[in-house]
Amino acid sequence: MNDVAHPATSAGGGLSADETEIHDRGYRRYEGARSGVAGSVRSVAWQTVRSTLGLGRPARHKVFPVVVVVIAALPAVAFLGIAILLRDFGDEPLAGYSDLFGFSVAPIMIFAALVAPEALVRERRDGMFSLYMSTPLTRASYVGAKVIAVLSVMMIIALGPVLLALVGYTVVGEGPDGFLDWVKVFLQLAAGSLVISGVMGAVAMAGASVTDRRAFASVAVILVAFGGAIVSEILVDAAEFSNVYGLLDPLGTATESATRILGEASDATEDASELAGVDTIAVVLGALAWFAAGASIVGYRYRNLKAS
Amino acid sequence: MSIITTSGLTMQFGAQRALDSLNVAVDAGVTGLVGANGAGKTTLMSLILGLRAPTAGKASVLGFDPQTDGAQLRARIGFGPERNVVPEDMPASDFVKHMAEVRGMPRSEARGRASDALWLVGLGEERSRALGTMSTGQRQRVKLAQAIASDPSLLLLDEPTDGLDPVQRDEMLSLIRQVSREYGIDVVLSSHLLEEVERICDHIVALDAGRLVAAGRLTDLVGDEQGVVVELAEVVDHPDAVRDVVANLSQAGLDVSRNEVGLRLEVIGPDADVVADLVRDAIAGANARVVRIERRRRRLEDLFSVGSP
Repeated sequence: MNDVAHPATSAGGGLSADETEIHDRGYRRYEGARSGVAGSVRSVAWQTVRSTLGLGRPARHKVFPVVVVVIAALPAVAFLGIAILLRDFGDEPLAGYSDLFGFSVAPIMIFAALVAPEALVRERRDGMFSLYMSTPLTRASYVGAKVIAVLSVMMIIALGPVLLALVGYTVVGEGPDGFLDWVKVFLQLAAGSLVISGVMGAVAMAGASVTDRRAFASVAVILVAFGGAIVSEILVDAAEFSNVYGLLDPLGTATESATRILGEASDATEDASELAGVDTIAVVLGALAWFAAGASIVGYRYRNLKAS
Repeated sequence: MSIITTSGLTMQFGAQRALDSLNVAVDAGVTGLVGANGAGKTTLMSLILGLRAPTAGKASVLGFDPQTDGAQLRARIGFGPERNVVPEDMPASDFVKHMAEVRGMPRSEARGRASDALWLVGLGEERSRALGTMSTGQRQRVKLAQAIASDPSLLLLDEPTDGLDPVQRDEMLSLIRQVSREYGIDVVLSSHLLEEVERICDHIVALDAGRLVAAGRLTDLVGDEQGVVVELAEVVDHPDAVRDVVANLSQAGLDVSRNEVGLRLEVIGPDADVVADLVRDAIAGANARVVRIERRRRRLEDLFSVGSP
């Protein structure tokens, strides 16, 4: 219930009694509708996004996300600048979207290596996970909220640059022909970004699930990503094993999947790629396998994690 | 009406039995869950919340089965953990608002309720401060605020006065009592400090090594007993004064017992006022000196001494 008092006119001759009100609502019981588990998941996901991007936190927590976003967007901005300055391209093609995915590989990996530990490790260490378990959240819905948050943040890095390029190319008259074609390219870019974010997000969340030290988790994620790339390169290029072994590289597999979704014949699918000649279905299955492996580790860890 | 009932509730961790066939009914009001560290208080709370599956037996909380209706039940419970779980760099108002939302409060309501809860616990002016900069007492208040912001039916507080100095402890206990009395929120609080439980609780559930020692209304478990307790001081000029007092009271037909040091007497008789008069006369007759005289009372610690083998 609201208590409203009307104080007398102030001595300074400011507001009159008719113009001022003191609202003293105070703590009270609540009888309205509740948002249920969906509201719990939404709140945890949004809070995680805020935390990983440094929103609502001191400035030092914002530096890293901003730097990575800028680095990831630089190639797209550079190509756009060239396109705007030169206008006439002649026979020189602009950078393809898959090329831009390729340029974003390093920022995506670094971002994944730091975002997932921030999203998961701290809450296991400081007891927030246990506090969340005293709410309508279950282990499954909690992990679901974290997946939504990590994927959302990863999508900023993966989709942002190519979307910027799509819009820029369209503005300078080098974009898709017609609205339907534009929508098709947009959906392809979104799907490709989702695959990259899904694979790297799953790998990163798995790394963040196996250790309670954020630094160790970040190193583990980078090792898996780099290690996979090195192993696949050695097996395919040096030892001349089947190109299928290129699927041991999680980030390579994810970007190759995105390239296949775009239907582009970019550098990644030419002879230089470890995955050249591998069936598209095998590449997509490889990406799914990486996602499933990461998800299984996360699921196992959280199914057995004690909440006190 | 009981808000919590357990039937044969048992929790086994390896070779250790944390709870042993617990049968208890907790009524509305403020209930103190008391016992030493390791008595099974936190285990019982986690079973009430449905965070663990019991080895045997079952529980009903607010009419829900914690094992099958856990999410629905927890939407009606506010929990204040013993651990210091607050995120260091988050402002208090953001944390309380977030927890209110996670417990099911719509976004449009959560901000206002977080602010109201923080004002209620005395942190209205401090609501924008980062939690990491707050004192232990302030953090305990924030934990209480996050537990009540979603307007729960039941408040579970695990050692809510842990780490507080005596003044802060008094304030926290008053707050908890206020939340229950003014807003009708039932409270179950665990504590190993019997004195504080005795001060604010309506009901007691006493555990010892996982077993139920006593349960019921506080007024039934503690309170006045027949007789008085007398504490005397040594009198140099009358070294036999205490012995004379005991002799006088015994002659008057009262049951007198002395503690080991011999200066504290428990005098038991049918009427405390009559006993007090007789004690006064006996002291005067023996030229003894009184330090303290009071009615005999049963205290919570007596429950544990009776329950011990």
